[in-house]
Amino acid sequence: MIRFLVISNHTLFWYYFSSNIAYLTMLMIALKTSATHQRRLESHRLAWIKDTPLAPPIAIIAPAHNEESSIRVAVHNLLELDYPELQVIVVNDGSEDRTLEELREEFRLRPVRAVYVPEAKSAPVRGLYRSDVDTRLLVVDKEPGGSKADAVNAGLNAATSPYVCVVDADSVLERDALLRIMVPILADPKRVVAVGGIIRVLNGSEIQDGTLKRVRLPRKSIEVIQVIEYLRAFLIGREAWAQGNMLTIISGAFGLFRTDLVRAVGGYRSRAIGEDFDLVARLHRHLLEKGSDYQIRFVPDPMCWTEVPSDLRSLGRQRARWQKGLLDVLWPNRDMLFRPRYGRIGWFAFPYLWLFELLAPVVELVGLATIILAACLGVLSREFFLQFLIFGYAFATVISIGSVLQEEITYKRYNDWQDVVRLVSYCFFEHFPYRQLHMIWRLQGLWQYLRGDFLWKPMKRKGLSSAQVR
Amino acid sequence: MESIFEKLWRVGPAAFVLKAIVAAILANALLLAFILLRRTYRKRYFAKRDARVFELRQKWDALISGEIPYETWRKKPFDRRIVETIALDAFEAAGSEESARLLRFLRQSGLIEKRIFEARQLTGWRRMRSLVALGRTRAPEGIPALAEALRDRDLEVRLAALRGLGRMACPEAGEEILAWVGESGLSVPALPLQSALIQCCAERPQLLLPFVQHAGGLLREVLGRVLGDIATPSMGLDLLQFVGDDLDELRAAAARAMSHNKSGMAFDLLNELVRDPIWFVRLRAIVSLGKLSDPRAIPSLLRGLTDSNRLVRLRAAEGLVELKTDMAPIFNRVVETRDRYGLHAYLTALENADLRGKLEHELQISTAIREEERDLLEKVLRTGALLAEDPAITTSLVDKAALLP
Repeated sequence: MIRFLVISNHTLFWYYFSSNIAYLTMLMIALKTSATHQRRLESHRLAWIKDTPLAPPIAIIAPAHNEESSIRVAVHNLLELDYPELQVIVVNDGSEDRTLEELREEFRLRPVRAVYVPEAKSAPVRGLYRSDVDTRLLVVDKEPGGSKADAVNAGLNAATSPYVCVVDADSVLERDALLRIMVPILADPKRVVAVGGIIRVLNGSEIQDGTLKRVRLPRKSIEVIQVIEYLRAFLIGREAWAQGNMLTIISGAFGLFRTDLVRAVGGYRSRAIGEDFDLVARLHRHLLEKGSDYQIRFVPDPMCWTEVPSDLRSLGRQRARWQKGLLDVLWPNRDMLFRPRYGRIGWFAFPYLWLFELLAPVVELVGLATIILAACLGVLSREFFLQFLIFGYAFATVISIGSVLQEEITYKRYNDWQDVVRLVSYCFFEHFPYRQLHMIWRLQGLWQYLRGDFLWKPMKRKGLSSAQVR
Repeated sequence: MESIFEKLWRVGPAAFVLKAIVAAILANALLLAFILLRRTYRKRYFAKRDARVFELRQKWDALISGEIPYETWRKKPFDRRIVETIALDAFEAAGSEESARLLRFLRQSGLIEKRIFEARQLTGWRRMRSLVALGRTRAPEGIPALAEALRDRDLEVRLAALRGLGRMACPEAGEEILAWVGESGLSVPALPLQSALIQCCAERPQLLLPFVQHAGGLLREVLGRVLGDIATPSMGLDLLQFVGDDLDELRAAAARAMSHNKSGMAFDLLNELVRDPIWFVRLRAIVSLGKLSDPRAIPSLLRGLTDSNRLVRLRAAEGLVELKTDMAPIFNRVVETRDRYGLHAYLTALENADLRGKLEHELQISTAIREEERDLLEKVLRTGALLAEDPAITTSLVDKAALLP
């Protein structure tokens, strides 16, 4: 027993050690990459992209389900984005409210027989409409498919552009977001097949007519902690993984893909829990199996602002769902692990996700149990245990503050002193008790998946029509 | 000799932890201090800059007219940067008269000369920044410095120079780019090169011809695409040589270039290219035929309507819909193709162009079609289904076929 506890504690120590080293490495890569990106942008003036005759057309796909309160504003926002060749496809995913009527009235829709080739699986389409106010707008009205993936697939079937940009209808895209997300594609269109943008927390910011007027930090602690999480995940995690062409997630709220490739892999998987992660994993598999020379990139400056859960219950559900989504993708793709044909994805990205993301809550739980047991049995020095906790805590705050620093030196959206002070202080509170709660939610997610509970419960949102998202 | 892992294992956790705690706390303190100091510094800097921008804007006219001697601000890097930024921003949005005034100011004040000097002397990011500024001025005297930077070892610098030359949008800049790709091949991604060449050679596309003939591989493809974009009707004969080229891109470029040429020969060549085995060559040919908007294109457009590629079908349908001729006989011929996909593409294009009502009206009044044909066509238009899909219509079609000689 005692021998087991000693081995377990040593394993735990090295597990955390390697996880922290991985984070530290990612932080350093991300800081360097962001600096390079900022400088590169100096020669890539966005106005010039706007003028170029070679900007490839993009179709924005915005699935909408019961969005009557915000759909008008959201669609106007999408149509006002800066990009020379744009088509907006709104997919009304069997809304039971007035979403379609709102669109009809606002944009004077008329039924059309637009090209719709059902290449990607989706629920039956009831009708296609084009706007008389702005011909770039196409509305696909379909039977409810029960998932966002199903709705996006319908949009994909109606898209005729070489690139599709998938967004959430209730997110706010910055006006130049498409120009920015196209930068890697315009630089190397043959190799870059998908690009992810950054998702930022909208709660607390002031919005007017669906446009972001002033960025503020949310009031609620739980929302502020999510701001730090998002900064860490995007500005450190994704930035670093993308450097090694090992990006495995492009957020469903804002991502750009080559249309032909998404079609080639059959579009989004309707039954996937984390459809965005699933798509990128399948793209990697498809391209690696073909031996293609490709890149999936992340750009940290095209910003998409989205509302995050503001109560523990919704947040818990969301995190449990993310964990289920992770397992739902990693398990079917387990054959990619440590196989030479899958290169870095099989050797680094997926093993990392298994070890430090999927199994993390399990390891944490087992670790806590064995440490406590070892401390009780006198196998573990209490002094060492305390030191270990302090180290874990101090190091985790370094990474969190590092992500705030990354935001500070690059995009600096929180201009108010008060916001920065609050943001930094929350870096110290994030690791207790939030982290432990997070562990429980993730364990719940794993348990639910193993039990076969894949039910998706929508999050309560306030919508874009409110003057201020609080 | 033991490995690093063995060493780490031997050292054990205890030896690490205390040092690690100190290091982590120190790192936290340093990060916080950095954020704090940086904020304070930036706050002061921007306050000072904004105040100075306001001051300089107040006397902007005196500044650019030279009433205030240029030396008073040019020797101060802080002021110089502000003045240059204001001038370049204004330049990008200015009309022709204001542009000329600003360019004169940039020249006389020595700002362009300074940037040319920097573009030649500096390296790395600082050189890149100067090249961007030079490109923004669109001053022809900056072309040699930009052309020199095309030979830089750093890709980012080469790209900045290329974009700068593209911004000049003049044949002289195009000549420099072509000379460079002629000697060093394709050493930048294709799209920025294509974009720069389109801007620079639009005025004189003939510049490209010798390079297209002699280039090889991917570069030839890129030049071909540029040629396809900017070719003018006067180049029709020059482009004939590419119609049978081995390179798909060049055949596509030739097809694209024909969109301006209404000669009989252009139609013959486009009719040839509509049968090309490569889909995007066919697509280009169909798009060009559509742009010509000439009834002579109808047979080829109808052929395009039955193409195996949906983009080709769609463009052919758009071409047919946009023809300025009676729609009823064309619709009749579309139905006669008996191609379900073609009919679908045609109806889509018709509805997208909001011309369905017009076709309905023309069907009612057209004298070019017989009564029974009219009923048939109206039914097809109403249902969107081909004859064979409707048993009733199929019967009438069989009857009709029986009457044919």
